[in-house]
This record gives sequence, C-alpha cells and structure tokens, in this order.
Amino acid sequence: MPTLHIVRQSAFNSDDFAQCLQVLRDNDVIAFIDDGCYNLHHQLINTINSEAGIQLNVIDKHAQARAITIDESLYTVINMNDLVNLTLTTSRVITWQ
Amino acid sequence: MSDTLNKLTAILNAKAPYSNTAGKDALDIALIFGSFEQPTSLFFQGDGVWQLMQGQDGAIISVKDYLKTFAAFEFYDLENIYICQESLTQRGLTAAFHIEQVKVLAKKEFAEKLASHHTVLRF
Amino acid sequence: MKKLAVVVTTPPYSNLSVTALDYIETALKSGVELIGVFFYQYGVIHANQQAQIASDEFQCIDQWQALQETYKLPLHLCITAAEKRGLSDEEPNNIHPIFTVSGLGELVELVNKADRLVQF
Repeated sequence: MPTLHIVRQSAFNSDDFAQCLQVLRDNDVIAFIDDGCYNLHHQLINTINSEAGIQLNVIDKHAQARAITIDESLYTVINMNDLVNLTLTTSRVITWQ
Repeated sequence: MSDTLNKLTAILNAKAPYSNTAGKDALDIALIFGSFEQPTSLFFQGDGVWQLMQGQDGAIISVKDYLKTFAAFEFYDLENIYICQESLTQRGLTAAFHIEQVKVLAKKEFAEKLASHHTVLRF
Repeated sequence: MKKLAVVVTTPPYSNLSVTALDYIETALKSGVELIGVFFYQYGVIHANQQAQIASDEFQCIDQWQALQETYKLPLHLCITAAEKRGLSDEEPNNIHPIFTVSGLGELVELVNKADRLVQF
C-alpha cells in the first residue's frame, strides 16, 4: 500500500524532504515537482536505500525550467498526466511543501 | 463505498508554533474534524514537535496561545497524538509535553502509523 | 471510478499555484472525477477580486473561471481563512462569484467523499 510523496521544496532551503525521508517506507513513490527538483542535487538523495524499491519520479518541465538535468538511469521522467495517475494508483498522498 | 465510510485522517504538524499560522490552521481542522466525529489522528514531526513542548508561553510575545486548546483534544475525541522520536532527538528534547496522551514513536513506527491513515494533511 | 479532491493553500502570485492548476486541469481533461477544490490558508487569496496580478503574469483567476465553467468544478472557500485575509461575503463583497463560501465542515465532506485528497 504505497504512499505517494509529492516533494515541492528544496532541501537546501527547508527540512521537508528530510522529513519525507523519515517516514518513507519500502515501495513508496516520490514525485519531485516545483522546487523539489533541486533535491536531485542534494546529498540527501543518496541516502535513499536503492534496495527499498522506492520509485523516484521527476516532472520533466519542472526540472527543465530549472536547468536540472535528469539522469534517466536513476529517475523516471514524468508529466502532469503521470502525476495524476500516480495519485490514483497509490494509496495516499502526502505533500511536502 | 466511498460515501459511506468515514476516512481515517491524519493531520501532520511540521511547523513551530508561533512565527506562522500553520499550527493554528491545523488545529482548526482537527477540532472541526473531531466535532464532526471524523476519526482523526495528530502527528508531530520536525519543528512541529515544538508545538507539544512543555513550559511555553506565547502570551509573552502576544500570541493568542492556541496551544492551550490542545488540552481539550479528548473532548473532541482526538485521542491519537503521535510524535516522532527522531525529531525530538535531533532537537535535544525529551518527552516533556504540555498534554498527557502523547505517544512517542520511533521513526519506523511513526511512518507505519502515518501510513495506516487514508488521508494525510500536512501543515 | 475514483473520486479526487484537492486542497489549495498557496496564493495566486506563487508558481506553486500554477502547478496546482495544471494538475487539476490535467485530471479533469483526462476524465477523473474531481469532486471539489478547497481553498485554505493563503489559497483563499485566489478568490480576492481586488488582487492585482500584473497583466503579463499568469492569471490564475482566469484559469479557475474556465475550469469552473467548463467542468462545473466546485471551488470552496474557507471563509474564516478568507476573512483573516481581507475577504468578505458581506457588502462590499469582494469574493469572486465563481467561489462558494464554505467552512471547514466542507473539508470533512470532501475527505469522506474522495478516494484521494491531494494538497497543493
């Protein structure tokens, strides 16, 4: 029963992403949107256990607008339609903003 | 189905009490949900834990002390109050709260408990 | 079909609200049943008819109006949060007519009716 975590703030500016990671469970889904895209450059991202089955998504135009390059071997590039679908296919949504 | 079942709701408090309205805004929701008999739990994480710490007095800085209302939680059937142990530890705090029914949960249990709720609102 | 509800807490002069609108419009266009939007905290400023957003900037209100008219999308305004920010449903009423004056009881309704609630 995964949770969708919508991360909208940069960890360089707020504690939100760190708090998201505190409650992250195996097989949860993260969507980096808005300033959350800056977290792709934050060291906290490396603390996510690669074996926990966490799906990491980034909204393409939110990253592109910020000149954030998405490494597609690490992240799934999504659009707004995909985010809508993720909210319906996961069990609950927590917005970190 | 979805019209008949009262959805278990979590209100996740993440901000310190005085310099913005988040704590009060969350409290207003909690009290309304409680009075509508909507099953609701309160979670405190990050700087949100400061809302529960003993010995505060907002009156000194002209804050209408909404934290005192926390004492009325049980009258609103708000009996599930959870606080994140790790957030306390990060701030060098011990479990000394201004209300009694607070349950301190280790990180994993806090996460599991939160995930047992249908809807999560975070302030 | 799953029912969706949205809470908006960000003001019209923030790009975060553009994202909320994008999400809502995308959901509606793809046929998702969106049962209502609840405006809380700074989100209530969306309803202020006197808010002036520079004409070369994104006009949230035009978008809300289009969505409300096209999809009959209920836009619920928390009146307590609104009054705190200078809005009034008494004369002179400065609340945009596409918004429904509501209270937190409406949020309870939305939570219970929706299969998913998303906060922006």
